[in-house]
Amino acid sequence: MIVYDKKILDNEILVDEADTLYKGGFISKEQKQFIKKELSVFRSQNNILVRIGFFLLGSFLYGSICGAISIIGMNAENAYFKICCYIFAAVGFAGSELLAKQNYHNHGLDDAFILGTILNIGFAIGITTDGYESVIAFFMAIASLYMFLRYLHLLSMLVFCFSITAFLFFQMFEFGEIGKAILPFTAMTFAAICYFLTKKLINNLIKSYYYKGLLLANTFCLVLFYLSCNYLVVRELSAELLGTEVQPGTDIPFAFFFYGFTFVVPIVYLVQALRTKDRFMLWISFLAIGFSIYTIRFYYAVLPIEVALTLGGLVLFAIAYFSIKKLKEKESGLTFKPDRINHSDNFLNAEALVVASTFGIKPEVKVDSPMEFGGGGFSGGGSEGNF
Amino acid sequence: MKQFDEQATQRLFEKNLITENQFQEIETYRALGIFSLNAELKLFLYLSVLLFTSGIGILIYENIDTIGHIAILSILLLVIVICFYYCFKNSKGFQKSETTFEHPVLEYLVLAANILTCIFIGYLQFQYKPFGEHYGLATLVPTIVSFFCVYYFDNKSVLTIAITGLAAYIGLSVTPQDIFNDSNNLYASQNLSYSAVMLGVLLILWTIYSNRVSLKTHFGLIFLTFALHIISIASISNLASYDMLNWMLFACVLVASTFYFYKASYENKAMSLYVFMIIYGYIGANIILFRIFENIDFSDIWELFVFLLPVYFIGSIVMFIKLIKNFHKEIAE
Repeated sequence: MIVYDKKILDNEILVDEADTLYKGGFISKEQKQFIKKELSVFRSQNNILVRIGFFLLGSFLYGSICGAISIIGMNAENAYFKICCYIFAAVGFAGSELLAKQNYHNHGLDDAFILGTILNIGFAIGITTDGYESVIAFFMAIASLYMFLRYLHLLSMLVFCFSITAFLFFQMFEFGEIGKAILPFTAMTFAAICYFLTKKLINNLIKSYYYKGLLLANTFCLVLFYLSCNYLVVRELSAELLGTEVQPGTDIPFAFFFYGFTFVVPIVYLVQALRTKDRFMLWISFLAIGFSIYTIRFYYAVLPIEVALTLGGLVLFAIAYFSIKKLKEKESGLTFKPDRINHSDNFLNAEALVVASTFGIKPEVKVDSPMEFGGGGFSGGGSEGNF
Repeated sequence: MKQFDEQATQRLFEKNLITENQFQEIETYRALGIFSLNAELKLFLYLSVLLFTSGIGILIYENIDTIGHIAILSILLLVIVICFYYCFKNSKGFQKSETTFEHPVLEYLVLAANILTCIFIGYLQFQYKPFGEHYGLATLVPTIVSFFCVYYFDNKSVLTIAITGLAAYIGLSVTPQDIFNDSNNLYASQNLSYSAVMLGVLLILWTIYSNRVSLKTHFGLIFLTFALHIISIASISNLASYDMLNWMLFACVLVASTFYFYKASYENKAMSLYVFMIIYGYIGANIILFRIFENIDFSDIWELFVFLLPVYFIGSIVMFIKLIKNFHKEIAE
């Protein structure tokens, strides 16, 4: 199923491992370079900026090939319009195949062709079926799964997760009112089943090729599970889909369940993450706790925003301070010492950028409103949602 | 993941790519089962500083007339003094090389103290106008305080505040969300463009000087990043100007800065500088090309352009790949 040479895939894993060992200070630079020279690997881009650049250029390339075909095909008018997206999808597939044969992997150029193929299949089915959503979602799910299995392409896996969820939703809509009413529970059950399924698949893996994709799907299930029965999501979606207005003094059906769910699940995630040392789950639990607080603030203004921010800052500071104090001296297990192997502090480099954008001093052009000064800090709104 | 990592290490060992000692060391380290919360807890500290200072900022803004001014100012001053007291007490004093605090909390205390100082001076100026009508001075004072903190406590986050303050002094908004939109109005105001370029050059000169006397050389990259973006955006937005002389002049500036940053990114081994230099250079080159061609009448051969377009993009891709490959090879050595 995998288009790439197994040997190169294995080499890739070894080189990655050598890289992490070098960063952890276990092996020397010469050794790492020797390993790199010994083993042949894919053409890939680790720098995300460069990869985005290549993705854009690849999209231009793909677009101009399709445009060139269209100039010839335009003569057939209507008939061409009906089949053009199938042709484009075929072009995309041929392009991805060609790039894969040239050993391009996670490079940006191949991303453009693989994602373009999936997108064009969606368009093509949409044109053929006159925009029948669940069929589009179904075929996009199949296409993206195939792309993931063949090219080990992680973004395709993400597309697959979204489109299979969309397929489920559209199918439930077909059942009418009842389908919409039980949607939260269906989504929750679906997420739970998929979570345990992917977990089992990960544990049964022998080769690690599909590991990252399955982990992504697993993480996606965690997010879906939390969101499916979050009070805010359920209430707003039911207002959107069923048109039910919540009168003052009343609440949505099963409100207690949803309230409980909103608060229990993040805590469960947090405890489970610390117990199993699962970093993705830990991050999701942080985000979920943040979103739960937002949910409450959305409906009940417990405290004025400025007091909430100040107190929140103080509480967070206290939590961080005491956790650091407690973990500082520990040598194994849960600790404050930076891990030599798994670095997760890349995002800390973005700190300076965030400071500049929230607290940067702006020039005082308008003399009549000197409060412009440091105005970024006063709005402060951007700093909650982002994390 | 763990079992796969261990497999990979095992295979590296089997292929004789790592020695037995190294293999043993790695195995023992893995057996510790370290799960580090270092980055997460630091992020919490950082978030708490952001939340707290935003909260204080809004609190002052909303209640500017209800609580006594003296009360607000004295509370703020008290908090600032406490923060700075702890920072000074635990700092190792000024050093030319990179320094860190022993306790990570202090780094964030410096940040908090600095932001609060900015708020304090802003509030003071709003209410009592100690600087009179010299609003520039009100921007310059927090900038100077920030620069002092930057060099004394060695704090990168504060450095960005200081640089935005410096730019604000000449009337330029360089916060990431503003630099691309119209608030600067570089297109309309030529003087602002000249001062932007001057500021960029100044930042570059300061970096060169710092490198020569080896003063906090790890700040160089931040200075250069700001300089690159300020100079390039100022000159690109002036390339569209109607004045022939003006756009020629800025084209020269862009060419010169592109050349300098090409050299500088190799020296600093900085991918971020290199990529943005290429992007700005590419955009600039296209605009210049367009400006040169705009006077020529192509109406008869436009179809040629449609077919040339894919060729042009393929050419760009090939050029891009070549440049990046060279750079990779160079910095890997």
